[in-house]
Amino acid sequence: MDLVHNLALGFSTALSLQNLLYALAGTLIGTLIGVLPGIGPIATIAMLLPTTYSLAPTSALIMLAGIYYGAQYGGSTTSILVNIPGESSSVVTCIDGYQMARQGKAGAALGIAAIGSFIAGCFSTVLVAAFAPPLTELAFKFGPAEYFSLMVLGLIGAVVLASGSLLKAIGMIVLGLLLGLVGTDVNSGVMRYAFDVPELADGLGFVGVAMGVFGFAEIIANLEQKEKREVFTSKVGSLLPTMKEFIYSAPAIARGTVLGSLLGILPGGGALLASFASYSFEKKITRNPDPPFGQGNIRGVAAPESANNAGAQTSFIPMLTLGIPPNAVMALMVGAMTIHNIQPGPQVMTSNPSLFWGLIASMWIGNLMLVILNLPLIGVWIQLLKVPYRLLYPAILVFCCIGVYAVNNTTFDVMLTAAFGAIGYLFHKLHCEPAPLILGFILGPMMEENLRRAMLLSRGDPTTFFTRPLSLTLLIMAAALLVIVTLPAIKKGREEAFLEAD
Amino acid sequence: MTIKNEKDFWSGVMFIVFGLFFALFAQNYVFGTPQRMGPAYFPTLLGGLLVLIGAVIAASGLARNATPTKIDKFHFGPLLWVLGSVVVYGALLKPAGVLLAMFVLVGISSMGSHEFRWKEVIGLSFVMALLTWVVFIWGLKLTIPVWPAFMG
Repeated sequence: MDLVHNLALGFSTALSLQNLLYALAGTLIGTLIGVLPGIGPIATIAMLLPTTYSLAPTSALIMLAGIYYGAQYGGSTTSILVNIPGESSSVVTCIDGYQMARQGKAGAALGIAAIGSFIAGCFSTVLVAAFAPPLTELAFKFGPAEYFSLMVLGLIGAVVLASGSLLKAIGMIVLGLLLGLVGTDVNSGVMRYAFDVPELADGLGFVGVAMGVFGFAEIIANLEQKEKREVFTSKVGSLLPTMKEFIYSAPAIARGTVLGSLLGILPGGGALLASFASYSFEKKITRNPDPPFGQGNIRGVAAPESANNAGAQTSFIPMLTLGIPPNAVMALMVGAMTIHNIQPGPQVMTSNPSLFWGLIASMWIGNLMLVILNLPLIGVWIQLLKVPYRLLYPAILVFCCIGVYAVNNTTFDVMLTAAFGAIGYLFHKLHCEPAPLILGFILGPMMEENLRRAMLLSRGDPTTFFTRPLSLTLLIMAAALLVIVTLPAIKKGREEAFLEAD
Repeated sequence: MTIKNEKDFWSGVMFIVFGLFFALFAQNYVFGTPQRMGPAYFPTLLGGLLVLIGAVIAASGLARNATPTKIDKFHFGPLLWVLGSVVVYGALLKPAGVLLAMFVLVGISSMGSHEFRWKEVIGLSFVMALLTWVVFIWGLKLTIPVWPAFMG
């Protein structure tokens, strides 16, 4: 059967020594930055992207993917032990995880997070493998109008499921779209917004923008506050949950996995949304929780941790099949593929099957590595958590600066990153989310091109987006999402979910 | 006119400024027709949209029933030290080579923390220099000028 054949190809690619090493590197680095607060997968992937130049594209993607889902594992460690989320999707784990640590059950919390994540990872990898081919078939029916509408849906989805003000997020998207248009216009050859600066001919490097807005701005914001970290290292206890705890958590793991897998595919979805949603869901569905949620209920750790790993992996589906990134991290992956001269989209599966299936297979291998390595390495991570921030952030700066320079070997890019660091700081102060900006930035040129082609094909008729059935469906879905989110009931639920994060 | 929701108001202003910037500069390029869009078409469209969005957000910040928020103080210290160190690094990279430029980067950026200690900074610089050399130069073979320019 095709699936078996494809998976066999995938595993043979993923199990090469080189790819195993890169999977290991990616997952370790991912766990590391997941553990360390103040730096997350987006900044890290942006930082390491240029260094993957010299690697084969498959190896590069395997490593970068490993960073993303590795960070989901690592983030739970800091959340549980220090009550600081190491990664944005680990915020919810703080709530019950830290309480468990205070009750001396940190080991059980850490253990169930790892186990839940592994089970979720296995399940979602199978999903990715199973759904990729049919979705790719569907994608071939997409014309430019459909792609444009899909991107609109993706952007609206990202906004709707993001925290904070809806309008501001839309504003950030539009700003991102505009920034993406800087550079040479492919159709006409005109240099837009370049102001005679030759380095801008290819546009603002997205590595620089991402690093500036996410990495630098975050560092500056962190430096404003005095650090206070209380690390619970003494009473970690046994690193495995008891059988009783495991059985109690099992349904939560199952629910988290399913919910996370579904939400990861949605535009705007991914690990973050998955973890929030599954925590809220678990809270509503458990009757007579003992102890109550918020005071150390192990389901409060099992569910979101499974969900965030499942969501991280299934968010690869739209990227791999349609070439449309559902969230900022996937946007960077699209960038990574482009750098390696691979055009993301439905044809990747047929033109580059070893890359496609190798990536999927390595996700499973990565999950295995994470669960085996993480448990013994907890001690190392704990030591790392004690490194004071004042030593950490210059190191992060060094890595960022080296990475940015490596993209084009121009110091202009370094300066540009600094400028975006300042702009990112402004965004932070004004409470404008940077993630929608990156999404818009990557999608900007693509949207314009599809818009142009659609209009060319329809001879200037804008109703083409509404007369073609597939495109109309997508636009209706986007409108529905907008309506749903403005309904009072959902609005309140959304605010609640993000309030728990604050 | 009191600005109730400062964050929203100034976000709106920021968007308006950006939108105007993109839309106005787009006038230098050909607009084209819907069927054959010129380079100015999409940017003008988006720029206009951004101005509109900005106006709505700013107006919502002025509304009487807006949730009052204030913008936290801008801490220019860390901002200048961190970004300044990056700019200096960028300027020094080609003439001085990555190892020296990195020392400067670590040194200047560390001044941004209120827990600055000389010995730590120097120690950290050496560790980073070693790490950089091993991982990026020897390991990943990135083409970065390592030593100062005059050393060739």
